[in-house]
Order: sequence, then C-alpha cells, then structure tokens
Amino acid sequence: MSEIDKLQTEEFVLNMGPHHPSTHGVCRFVLKMEGEVIKDVEPVVGYLHRALEKICENRTYAQIIPVTDRFEYCTSMSCNMAFALAVEKLAAMEIPERAQYLRIIMLELNRIASHLIWFGTTALDLGAITPFLYGFREREFILDLFEMTCGQRLTYNYIRVGGVARDIPTQFVPKCREFLNIFDACVDDYERLLTENVIFVVRNKNVGVLPPEKAIAWGVSGPALRASGVKHDLRRDDPYCIYDRFDFEIPTCQNGDCYDRYIIRIKEMRESAKIVRQALDKLPEGETRAKVKMVFKPPAGEVYSRIENSRGEMGMYVISDGSTKPVRVKMRGGSYNQLQVIPEITRGHKIADLVAIMASMDVIMPEVDR
Amino acid sequence: MDREQLIKYIQDKFPGKVTLLDCGRVEPFFKVELGFLKEFCQAIRDDTTLGMDYLCNIAGVDSGEHYEVVYSVASVKNKIRFDFKIFPERENPAIDSVIDVWPGANWYEREVWELYGINITGHPSLKRFLLPDDWNQGHPMRKNWDAPDFVRMPEN
Repeated sequence: MSEIDKLQTEEFVLNMGPHHPSTHGVCRFVLKMEGEVIKDVEPVVGYLHRALEKICENRTYAQIIPVTDRFEYCTSMSCNMAFALAVEKLAAMEIPERAQYLRIIMLELNRIASHLIWFGTTALDLGAITPFLYGFREREFILDLFEMTCGQRLTYNYIRVGGVARDIPTQFVPKCREFLNIFDACVDDYERLLTENVIFVVRNKNVGVLPPEKAIAWGVSGPALRASGVKHDLRRDDPYCIYDRFDFEIPTCQNGDCYDRYIIRIKEMRESAKIVRQALDKLPEGETRAKVKMVFKPPAGEVYSRIENSRGEMGMYVISDGSTKPVRVKMRGGSYNQLQVIPEITRGHKIADLVAIMASMDVIMPEVDR
Repeated sequence: MDREQLIKYIQDKFPGKVTLLDCGRVEPFFKVELGFLKEFCQAIRDDTTLGMDYLCNIAGVDSGEHYEVVYSVASVKNKIRFDFKIFPERENPAIDSVIDVWPGANWYEREVWELYGINITGHPSLKRFLLPDDWNQGHPMRKNWDAPDFVRMPEN
C-alpha cells in the first residue's frame, strides 16, 4: 500500500460567495464537499433584504409602483404590471384598449431584455465572453426604446394602476419595428455561438436534471418548468391582460437539464418578438389611462394575482381595507422557488456544475430577498 | 370548474371545517380550521378533481387584531386556483408545517416564522433567513413593530 492510499478522506465545508460573480446578486452557498463532489448545498440568502413589503405598508398605491421596480429590476415592467393588475382586480377597473396593447409591447420587450441578460451572463459564467457582448448589444436597443418612452433604463415606473404613465412618442413604433426586423437574425447569431458549441453542450447536457413532478412540487415555474416538459404558461393557462388575443407558441422540452433550459429561453425570445409584432400591428388609438382619482382608495378585499414574467410566476398578494394604503403586499417571485430547488438537483455534481445550474435557473437575488 | 362549482365542491367535501370568506375578489377565499390545515392540504392535493399540486405562495398577515397565514394554491393540470387562510392564536401563534405536502413551502414557512413570529410545528430547519444572523429586535412585519429610527408621521 502506497503512502497516498493510507491518507484518510473526510467531508469538508466550503463557502461560496456571497460575492461570487456567478451568484447574480449576493448569495452565499455553504457546500458540503467530498473531494470535488458536492454532497449537500445550503443557500444562505438575505444579503439584499430591503424590507420592500414593510415599506409598501406605509405607502399609497401610487407610491408603491416605484417600490415594485426594485423587486426584480431585470424586468421592472412586469413588477409594475403584477402590482397594477392586483389593484385593478380589487377595484374592478376597466383599462383602455391602447393601454392594454402598450402594456403587452412593454412586457414582451422587457422579457426579451431579461432573457438577453440571462443569455450573456450564462455564457460568461461558463467561460465565454463573446455572447455577453452580443446579448447586451441588442438589449441596448430595447433600453433605448424604454428610455424614449418613460425616461428610465432600468426602473421604469411606467405601468400604473389604470393604464400606463404616458403615451409612446411617435418615433417608438418605427424604431421598434427596426429592432424586430434585425432581432430574428440576432437570435440566429446567438444560436450559432452556443447551441452546438461543444464546450457549452458538454457543460450543460444532463446537468441539474429536474423531473417534472419534482418541479411542480417545489413550485418551480416559468422556463425552468417548461424545460421539464410541463406545458404551463400563465399567459395561456390563466390569461391576464389581453394575451388571449395573440398567436404564439409555448415551447417545451423533455429532459429538464441545463441545456433544455437554455433552448427554452432562446425559443421564448423569438415568440416574444412575434407577440410584439402582432401588438404593433393591432395598436389602436385612444386613451392610455383610465380615470383614477387623485386619492385612490380601492374597495376592501384581498386578491392574489399572478403573471408570467421571464423567471416564472410573479405574484402579488394585496390586502386592502378601503383606505389609501394597503394592509399587506406580499411579493412572490419565480427565483424564490428556483433557488430553493437548487440543492435538490445539485447533489452529486461538481462545483463548476453548480455554476451552470445557477445560471440556467436564471436566479436573481433581489427577487428572493426583497 | 367555475367559481360557484368550486366553492360548492369544497364546501361539500369538508363540511364544517372550511368556510367561505367574502374577502376574495377574483378567486374564492376559504377559512380553514386551525387544527385541520395539514389534513386539508393533503386532501386537496390528492383529490383527483382538484389536484392542487402547486403551491403559489404563503403569506403571513398581521391585521392589527389577529394573525393570518394565507395559502395560495393552484393546480397545473386542472387549471384551478383558490386561496385559503388560517387564523393562528394571538398569544404564542403556531401552525402546522405543510412541507410534507408541498416541499416548496419550506422557505415560505421560514419567512413567516422569522418575520411574524408564528411558530411552524414540524418544520425541519427554522433558522435565520432574511434578517441578519445577530438579529434580536423581534419580528419586523408585525404591525406594532417600528424600526428604531423610524418616526411615524402624524395622521393629518
């Protein structure tokens, strides 16, 4: 027996983060390792806790919209939308047609922008820099469109209770069409970079496999759920706004591994572009905001409303007691459950695979910590 | 299954244990008896007509007078959604854990425990979650809690 065989092995604890670049925010993992193999993972969260829900209890409904922007800043539009939708359900409000279409355009453009961040950072986490530059190049287009519309590039405060803040400028539609005309070719470019890239495929295939029953039981939603083969999209299954008027596919995959989650998001970007195109074609003239009283008091009641954003189910649970401020606002984001399920699918993989899994789940920490 | 059918189905299935509240604005809202929670969750998940396999959200609520814990559940297969709530006692509030039914409830329950001080019986790891590790200032989402440096504006 050589010296090396006599050495004892034992489990050790490794700390990853909180300032690890692949955690997309500030998240810490406590890893129980045996050699290079992960035996157990414990995510430690709370580094970005800003008490948004407590803040909401001391604000009026109009003041809460900018707070929701900070809930999930990659898709601020859908945060605005989720809250506005909940309050509109409480107040049983009618929204003007033009506002409905503008909302859809903004939500879908924002979904593309969010998927582009995911596309860039996923590749970056796995060691490729070029996709990051490509993704952010097209995202810039979308951010310019948003800046043109509401003056902001990240926290939009655009979708309000009763409609949208203001109409789009006249250059918006031609600029947006210009973007959509080049976008499909851009997605082809992305696919040429990664889809059949040997390194990327080997790093992602059969890594972090999430079976459909497990995905549902753990509350996983959005692209991560559809990658496991569950055809569940709230835009179809629990339609909100006017999504039932558009023609689009809901892509699904079968294996539920990191590679499938990549494929789903790439396909979703094309579908979102399709929806924006249809919405631009149908965009009617008219009012952009219903009449909302300056001192807005929705009737007492409770509602949990949910929408499909780029990370899955975004829910807002709002309780109103009939006064100007809500009693309770609970924000639910897709990342919360996606991060929670990571220990389940990481055991037995190596540390580098944890990075790939984290990237493919598209977890964003402010949504978890709030 | 539309709203009325759903209400009737659940009330017939659990007579006396589940009552309809009038606060729900879109989906129906039920009140479940405190001790009946876990049994109820198990039943609605395993029932083939309902099949509530998906837990959307758990929210703690402090209305000022009483605590509530609100569960929003959905069925991916049957496309049903409704909410129900339970009212823990004001003194030493405690509820049963539903992790056995929906494993995704884990973090939601930890959050309710930490921010509202509602004890979760049967939860495997009730430890600090969102707040700092050395936190010793109580449960911040309770209505009677204010941050030490917070000054409340006068009402008018």
